[in-house]
Amino acid sequence: MRQGEKITSNIDWPLLAVFLLLMLMGLATVYATAYNPEAPNLFDFSQKYGKQVVWLVVSLFLGLLVLLIDADIYRKFATPIYIFTVILLVVVLFMPAKFGARAWLGIGSLGIQPAEFAKIGTALLLARYISSVNIKLQNLQTVYIANLIILVPMVLILLQPDAGTFVVYTSFLFVMYREGITYDPLVLKLVNLIPGIKFKQTWVGSHFIPIMFAVVFLCLATLLVSNNVIKFDFLPGVEIPGFVGVVLSLVAFALFSLFFLRYIGSKRDRKNALIIVIFGFALCLIISTSVNYLFQNLARHQKERIELFLGLREDPDGDDYNRNRAMAAVGSGGLLGKGYNKASVSSVESNHVPESETDFIFCPFAEEWGFVGTFILVCLYMFMLFRIIMIAERQRSRFVRVYAYTVAMILFYHFAVNIGMDIGFAPVIGIPLPFFSYGGSSMMSFSMFMFILLKLDSQRSYILQ
Amino acid sequence: MNFDTRKYVIITFIIVVGIIYTLRLFYMQVIDDSWALRAQEIAEKRLEISPPRGAVYDRNGVKIVSNRTYYNLMMCEADIKNLDTVAFAKLIGWDVKRVRARFKEIVKGEGKYYNKHTGKTTPNYQKIRKYPFLKEMTLDEIANIAAHLEEFPGFKEEVTSMRSYPFASGANIFGYISEVYREEIDADPFYKAGDNMGRAGIERFYEKELRGQKGIRYIVTSAMNNDVEPYMNGKYDTIAKQGPNLNLGIDIELQAYGEKLLKGKRGCIVAIEPATGEILTLVSAPSFDPNLLVGKRNIGKNYPALANDPDKPLYPRPLAAQYPPGSVFKLLQSLIALQEGVITPEFGAPCNKGVVGCHNHPGAGTLADGIKFSCNPYFYAVTKRIIQQGKSKNNFVDAEMGLRKWAEYMHSFGLGYKFDSDITGLTSGLIPDPEYYDKWYGHHRWAFSTIRSISIGQGEVQLTPLQMANVGAMIANKGWFYTPHFVKSIGKKGPLPQFKKRHITMVEARHFDAIQEGMRRVVHEDGGTGRQARHKDYITCGKTGTVENKPKKDHSVFLAFAPMNKPKISIVVFIENAGFGGTWAAPIAGLMIEKYLKGTITDTVKERRILDFNIY
Repeated sequence: MRQGEKITSNIDWPLLAVFLLLMLMGLATVYATAYNPEAPNLFDFSQKYGKQVVWLVVSLFLGLLVLLIDADIYRKFATPIYIFTVILLVVVLFMPAKFGARAWLGIGSLGIQPAEFAKIGTALLLARYISSVNIKLQNLQTVYIANLIILVPMVLILLQPDAGTFVVYTSFLFVMYREGITYDPLVLKLVNLIPGIKFKQTWVGSHFIPIMFAVVFLCLATLLVSNNVIKFDFLPGVEIPGFVGVVLSLVAFALFSLFFLRYIGSKRDRKNALIIVIFGFALCLIISTSVNYLFQNLARHQKERIELFLGLREDPDGDDYNRNRAMAAVGSGGLLGKGYNKASVSSVESNHVPESETDFIFCPFAEEWGFVGTFILVCLYMFMLFRIIMIAERQRSRFVRVYAYTVAMILFYHFAVNIGMDIGFAPVIGIPLPFFSYGGSSMMSFSMFMFILLKLDSQRSYILQ
Repeated sequence: MNFDTRKYVIITFIIVVGIIYTLRLFYMQVIDDSWALRAQEIAEKRLEISPPRGAVYDRNGVKIVSNRTYYNLMMCEADIKNLDTVAFAKLIGWDVKRVRARFKEIVKGEGKYYNKHTGKTTPNYQKIRKYPFLKEMTLDEIANIAAHLEEFPGFKEEVTSMRSYPFASGANIFGYISEVYREEIDADPFYKAGDNMGRAGIERFYEKELRGQKGIRYIVTSAMNNDVEPYMNGKYDTIAKQGPNLNLGIDIELQAYGEKLLKGKRGCIVAIEPATGEILTLVSAPSFDPNLLVGKRNIGKNYPALANDPDKPLYPRPLAAQYPPGSVFKLLQSLIALQEGVITPEFGAPCNKGVVGCHNHPGAGTLADGIKFSCNPYFYAVTKRIIQQGKSKNNFVDAEMGLRKWAEYMHSFGLGYKFDSDITGLTSGLIPDPEYYDKWYGHHRWAFSTIRSISIGQGEVQLTPLQMANVGAMIANKGWFYTPHFVKSIGKKGPLPQFKKRHITMVEARHFDAIQEGMRRVVHEDGGTGRQARHKDYITCGKTGTVENKPKKDHSVFLAFAPMNKPKISIVVFIENAGFGGTWAAPIAGLMIEKYLKGTITDTVKERRILDFNIY
């Protein structure tokens, strides 16, 4: 800390306020959900809410420490921090399994999940690496190193196994995309293998990450449509096999694009666009055909899981139990909710929704506060995300900007997947709702994430690199 | 190369997800209620608590239909753990085979669900539901079992309420209750399997009142199907409300006495309070103890026997049976004739046995004498004057006009139609009108001589005993009556308004004096046919009837009201195949009136004679 400065100066108060507000709302929800009439005291440490209070205090204390320490160390010590968290990820693999995963490090009921903290190490090292790269001179090495930083913890986490956190790590790809680290060198190398082609840059390569997500979306849509029969209300008796429908809609989309192209751009643009449309159409067709083929040849249980997620198969009391109960809890909240501490489906006591104080914490909240509550919660998270992006964009230091983006994207992933699985938009993946879910590791790691960001931001006038 | 524009890709992505999630949440929580219903399905239990039915009191505030607590032994298969079938069978006093058979019976039968849309019956048995293993046990029966039930998890006793009749009388008035059928459950959401419903009598007519309001409790259940807590702290729960009491016009002591007098006979007694139309007594003989039809066990055992009895104890004779009224009808002919002005009270007619048979008596010089002697030729003459008034030269047209007028009078007396009352199983009787005879004989092909047997209440005319008793009340009131009914009031509310409407007949009050005088002579003058109904303390007006019932013996009928100056009771007694009206019906009516007005019977010899008389 520089002399003559208070730790509170230059702190971004709106972000800190919404962060503390979410924490308190989370605690209130944990209290109501895990409420035990025999131990109604919030500070009863034998209860989950008592423990959550402890985690909250510890997290804020850690946050205070972060604010006291000069933010320079995160850049300087990014590599050791990363290596330390990776070592923890290796160590945890030799621990006894708990709930079917080797994710816990610690004694008895007090334990931490290294995977949560590894996110911080990865974020710091990725930020440091990206800030040191000359974006204009990207080569294969850059792509390899950037991906290696992410891949090492990802592989270790998959070994635990913890599919949820594994998926969250893909959020780093968006940060890379924002900073211009792309798969273009890799794509270029592959494309230039074709004789007679010498590209300096490809559109697909530089926008590879969003395109990849678009392709995933296309695959899901293909599966959904091609496994149904398309019927029309206004044309009774006419039935189109699903896959024919997919091909028809692709053709329609291509024709529409061509028609649209006649009215925009110069002659040269049009020529290029025509190539893109034809190429894109062919690519989509290949992807659709192959994904459908793959799906039909999947192992039975894998196929069933995907069918369940897509709503092609119903099994509300069996395989789809969790999602069905979670959605029932959310939907039963109505406009105004059932009232605080009155959740009937998702309270721990009735136990219809499993893990309702951790991964499914959104269910009791939605049940008790209704749409009014969920709307406010979504708004709070949206506000937080935009505030972080705003903070990121006002940095002079590239390191801080990259770090801020990792915070935003990780929070967004947790938000989107956690709430998504309660409303049928995401598969059931066990990841916590940031600042809300019961649990020490996620609470501490998210708080550290946040406080490091606040500290870095508060020193934005001094940090140049 | 500048990548700053790429932040918009990310921001757009976040905004799109935020908007889609908000819309989805709005749809799931506010618009679409299927998830709320799903939540109810999985996490709530709706418990219905059936209140006891409303009780029934007689006119003196005596409880005549009450409720008694019984016990069901409920079984819930999901809770049964390591059942020692042998010990259990020993506990309930069955053999093991029977226990197993009962269990199978429950699984197959109790949970059957009939879907009226598909017409299919499917087993609906669920392990987590409770089913009665043993039904309707008394406290004594359950006491021994309940003490040991803790050793048999999955079995519990449960309280249920059933009817009880302290007086063992009035079965045909009260009706009975029994379990609802699937169609009835489908038709009215109030009922669920195992509920009771009124089947006849006032239990059926006042079903909606007597059944009360069910209490409903919503309970949050856990994934393990345990009760967690009242849903929303009981915010939506309702308390079960017992149905209101019914206060009847019935005098239960008189009812019981009437049933006692009619033991061993077929027939009926109906008594009405003329001033109110309240039914005091409604005896149908042979009768049965209403306690025979309490509960599934009893109904199963006793109902077939009652239904197959050749004397039809379940058949409510006073309401449904239609008899030719016999000589009692002569009173009505007189009233019409007086009002029409075709006779005067001083009208005399010879007893011309050439026209119709009669018994030996002095000639009737006045209307009162005609009634006293019940002279058949006399009333031939009277009725002829009503039907053939000479208003048309064509005899047939004249008869049609006369009969039409006559039928109008009869309707105004409450005959020929069903009373709009709280009595189930009523019939309308028959008052023939011109159209009726046109069907038989053809238009204008009949005259008085064709239909003359209606003069003396034979032939086509039919009345129910209830209508006849009402005629008595109407004469006692001199020209008006209230619809006969059972229930005076419901709960603490006042008299039922629908029974407070006076029906005024077409005969003016002044014409009734001569009729009442004739009826007085029937009872109180020597030579009158109803001497057996006489009592020295008050004046009884009566009229005997002997209804031809060839080839069997005649029915014995007596209609009376008393006291003459301030009538308190109008009564009709109808004894099938007992012969002359004065011999059996009159003394029974006399005893009933005495019982009602005096409370005690002085002439025990007469009473003994009646009690000892057995028709079969």
